[in-house]
Amino acid sequence: MAKLYVKAVPPADLNRNTDWFTYPGVWTSYILILFFSWILVLSVFGCSPGIAWTIVNLAHFAVTYDFFHWKKGTPFAEDQGIYNRLTWWEQVDNGKQLTRNRKFLTVVPLVLYLIASHTTDYQNPMFLFNTVAVIVLVVAKFPHMHKVRIFRINADK
Amino acid sequence: MIAIPYLTALTTYFSYGLLFAFGQFRDFFRKIFDWCSANTLQGYAPICLGLEDFYIRRLYLRIQDCFGRPIASAPDAWFDVVERYSNDNNKTLKRTDKISRCLNLGSYNYLGFAAADEYCTPRVVDTLKKYSPSTCSTRVDGGTTALHLELEECVAKFVGKPAAIVFGMGYVTNSAILPVLMGKGNLIISDSLNHNSIVNGARGSGATIRVFQHNEPSHLEEVLREQIAEGQPRTHRPWKKIMVIVEGIYSMEGELCKLPEVIAVCKKYKAYTYLDEAHSIGAVGKTGRGVCELLGVDTADVDIMMGTFTKSFGSCGGYIAGSKDLIQHLKYTCPAHLYATSISPPAAQQIISSIRVILGEDGSNRGAQKLAQIRENSNFFRSELQKMGFEVLGDNDSPVMPIMLYNPAKIPAFSRECLKQNVAIVTVAFPATPLLLARARICISAAHSREDLIKALQVISRVGDLVGIKYFPAEPTKQQQEGGKTVKFD
Repeated sequence: MAKLYVKAVPPADLNRNTDWFTYPGVWTSYILILFFSWILVLSVFGCSPGIAWTIVNLAHFAVTYDFFHWKKGTPFAEDQGIYNRLTWWEQVDNGKQLTRNRKFLTVVPLVLYLIASHTTDYQNPMFLFNTVAVIVLVVAKFPHMHKVRIFRINADK
Repeated sequence: MIAIPYLTALTTYFSYGLLFAFGQFRDFFRKIFDWCSANTLQGYAPICLGLEDFYIRRLYLRIQDCFGRPIASAPDAWFDVVERYSNDNNKTLKRTDKISRCLNLGSYNYLGFAAADEYCTPRVVDTLKKYSPSTCSTRVDGGTTALHLELEECVAKFVGKPAAIVFGMGYVTNSAILPVLMGKGNLIISDSLNHNSIVNGARGSGATIRVFQHNEPSHLEEVLREQIAEGQPRTHRPWKKIMVIVEGIYSMEGELCKLPEVIAVCKKYKAYTYLDEAHSIGAVGKTGRGVCELLGVDTADVDIMMGTFTKSFGSCGGYIAGSKDLIQHLKYTCPAHLYATSISPPAAQQIISSIRVILGEDGSNRGAQKLAQIRENSNFFRSELQKMGFEVLGDNDSPVMPIMLYNPAKIPAFSRECLKQNVAIVTVAFPATPLLLARARICISAAHSREDLIKALQVISRVGDLVGIKYFPAEPTKQQQEGGKTVKFD
């Protein structure tokens, strides 16, 4: 079987914390991780597919909110703290808004929300949890929210 | 441009994601335990954020036996590697008395001057007796000897510039020069894969920094045009000075800079050029004068030329070569010149002697032989690796040869298996390289003989099959006739 090769071009981004997202295969890996998480939840908890999607959606909300919109800085001391006031979302693509990667990361929670709501027949309380999660995630990703700290929540510590 | 199998890219992301998840998981419980123990001093801020050393604690320590291996002899074609062991899963490594005699594919010993040399070493020993091991002083204090003046003149003549200044440390040559040359209101345009010394020097300068895609003169022109049109941030006034910084050979890629195209773009938009030849000076070009000679660029077209003596010349330190006015300005203002210890006299003599050997002024043609040997060795090794099916980066004539590994599990596997076969190889991974593009970097030396290279190729081929890093189909098996002996690489 012939191997499928993709081309990797080094991006014009010096931030090691975010430049990995510009290489080929990231979107596919992201989607595959979500899908296999769903299968894992189905296997472990033995619940219905809808409940499993809701659990995946809420876990995705918790993980991505923490790592993309809450934690600041980079895990490398060589950066000398120049990113210590920026979340990962504010660092990605050098802060440029409405890039392909930002659009992808905004669409994923929306699609997850649609899948989770549809497979639970829009029943409460799953619908409420899913709606709150998707609103928080999507609002946090708006261009207008760049470097905004509402009521100084998570302001520079 | 690197071709990656798509499945390998997906598995690499999954591996790093798994490592990251487990690291964060352990950090989470570490926070809980630390909070319960309440050891921290009240009212004190932490000295460093826990996130800043996450990579070291959770990823690097796992495989740190593959990095920073101590050696016990000069880094010649063959050298002694000290064996280490660990009782706590690589958190600490202990040395033993045992050594392995290994083939050295990791040192920047491009011309073979790292070991004793028949011309250079006696002169260095004489210099030790005549001067001293160190001047213990700065250049402007008591640290200038006749050797330093001779070295600067020798370097300027070798490089092809009117004047040069020499520093005792290679890294400082970039990180201390850029803040002197560039400041507020200036623009630095840097290649995205420039060395960390350039990155830190540019950050320390206070100038605005823009990055263009690696080795893409067309993107450089885009960035230049855009930045000139926009002007300075907020005020939009014209930039006072624009400098484009590129490297001759990129040490993690083995690629040669597209210097003629870059010079053309810089002249079109009236930007200065800064060429970092840390790896290329002495190693490429017909007479070892670097990428300007190799690519047919006049040195007068490059405004500032930087290089190090730590690779081809078997010494230490670095230089800046440029116009007389520039060098005089640096001598007045550069902290590496005013405050740092000057280069050691024996090290300076080593550089002078090796340059003389390269130029043939030692009365023999060993310099030309070394240059021909490294070119021949590099092109032979590169073509054989590519025939076997490895993804090898870099250009022909470049002595730096990265072999792509990608998956994080293959980094220690490849390194350890090669060491078992007495081949010492340097592996490089994130964050020194992008996340997806971990690699083993091979540096070819003029001191390697053909037999050394053939043995290395056999070991790398065997380990490559074992570890699974031949991502391309191999060329059909070919019999290599070496003195009547048949050698198979596949």
